[in-house]
Amino acid sequence: MKAIFNREFNSYFTSMLGYVFLTIFLLLTGIMFYMVNIGYMTASMTGFFASVNNVAIFFLPLLTMRLFSEDRKLKTDQLLLTAPISTKEIVLGKFFAAFAVFMTGVVITLIYPVMLAVWGSLPFGETISCYIGFILLCSLILSIGAFMSSVTESQIVAAVATYGVLIFTMLLNSISTYVSNEAVVNILLWLSPLQRFSDFTLGIMSFEPIIYYMSLTGLFLFFTTMVFERRRLR
Amino acid sequence: MITISNLTKKYGDKYALDNISFDVKKGEVLGFLGPNGAGKSTTMNIITGYTAYTDGSVTVDGYDIIENPIEVKKRIGYLPEIPPLYVDMIVWDYLEFVYELKKIKTDDKNKHIQDIVDMVKIDDVKKRKIGNLSKGYRQRVGLAGALIGNPPVLILDEPTVGLDPKQIIEIRNIIKALGQEKTIILSSHILSEISAVCDRVIIINKGKFVAEDTPENLSKKIGNSHRMMFSIAGDREKAEEILNSFDGISNVVCVSSEGDAYNFEFDTTMDAEERKQLFFAFAENSMPILTQKEIETSLEDIFLELTQSAEKEEKKDESDI
Repeated sequence: MKAIFNREFNSYFTSMLGYVFLTIFLLLTGIMFYMVNIGYMTASMTGFFASVNNVAIFFLPLLTMRLFSEDRKLKTDQLLLTAPISTKEIVLGKFFAAFAVFMTGVVITLIYPVMLAVWGSLPFGETISCYIGFILLCSLILSIGAFMSSVTESQIVAAVATYGVLIFTMLLNSISTYVSNEAVVNILLWLSPLQRFSDFTLGIMSFEPIIYYMSLTGLFLFFTTMVFERRRLR
Repeated sequence: MITISNLTKKYGDKYALDNISFDVKKGEVLGFLGPNGAGKSTTMNIITGYTAYTDGSVTVDGYDIIENPIEVKKRIGYLPEIPPLYVDMIVWDYLEFVYELKKIKTDDKNKHIQDIVDMVKIDDVKKRKIGNLSKGYRQRVGLAGALIGNPPVLILDEPTVGLDPKQIIEIRNIIKALGQEKTIILSSHILSEISAVCDRVIIINKGKFVAEDTPENLSKKIGNSHRMMFSIAGDREKAEEILNSFDGISNVVCVSSEGDAYNFEFDTTMDAEERKQLFFAFAENSMPILTQKEIETSLEDIFLELTQSAEKEEKKDESDI
């Protein structure tokens, strides 16, 4: 797993992809920080995260689109699948590499709460829970992207399919307002990853959303493993 | 070392492999021969655990590929038809990655990799990006990857495809050297390659087993008839008539002409006495024989004969039904 993680992580920075991602990520979060926190003179980061969440779906698939599709296209999956390691290790190694690049960006954004704490009164609990929620939400998005990448040989198809799923889940909240049946509304809201995030913005760290995000992330990684395995059985 | 029994692979209703069985002994170099689409790569992909199979069993060093895939994979170095290279990596970094990926434990990682780099002669490109290398070098980097960890079994899928003649000879020499201590399965549709390096040849066609023998025995199988080329000066029809008048000569064809000389090819089973008569027959007609040479039956011919006769039998079977 370590070998795959290292290779994937380094390949983000030997290609331009890692730099492009970090540039977009930091640019967008910077703009959000300026608009929300500086513009409204507030030390609370909940507004910042609400905005960042909405744009996260547009840049996170950048990290995952080539994760598995490229291996399939260049036949390097032959090297990985004939090496004495399990498919699980391959999938986790790749996922954590994408996750680590994302976390690099997240760590850099910590400069914002530091600034807020120095020149304002930062609500620590709320900020920490927002960060945890944001990281959990994004790891779910990354796992969906990884799954889509394992289904196809084409990076473009992987990215577009991921966007499709993510935009649909974003719209779930709006769709639910058009549905009158309460049970259906509950199901739609239950499925909406953004809905879960609201707990974190209140500074509440309950188990339910944490388990929701982690188990869905795990589920998509499991699906990815299955797709990778199943292709051998074709 | 490797035992394949009743191996069958179906893609939908189509058989990619139909009941293939063979053994490879320790230290043996086995040639795997067949036209494109015969199932060579499929078989190799199955042995290395890349593709699953429909029926049968594969064991390597006593370990079953389904029950103990990790143990099997540890023992195999695989060079697929398209070398699995990450084109964005430096050669050395790639080899280090393969070393880590295979979880190799040696005392000195750098020395182990350097030994392999020297063996396949890629020392001058080890600091270069794989994407910028020529096909020949890429093939060698792929081979180096397969050799990392010094696995006792090597599976090489058409290792010389797309290389120039000089590179082919180099790769072949490397394989020959490796064959001294390792068990190797080598696939190819270039037959001279197989006869140059292999102890034993298995021929498959359309997923079916066709023949198995040493390269020498396969040549013998084709029979005692020799194909000769004669260049005879004089009248073409007369020459043909003389050739055809001998019982031991068959399949006479005039292949080309040079000035007033004609080049004939024919199969012959004649003994020394008959050959004398042939000489005098031409001498009497004052038709000098300018050139005579034997056309060697190559593995190519054996291969074509075997695969075609297998197909004919198949057709016959079908018409019987």
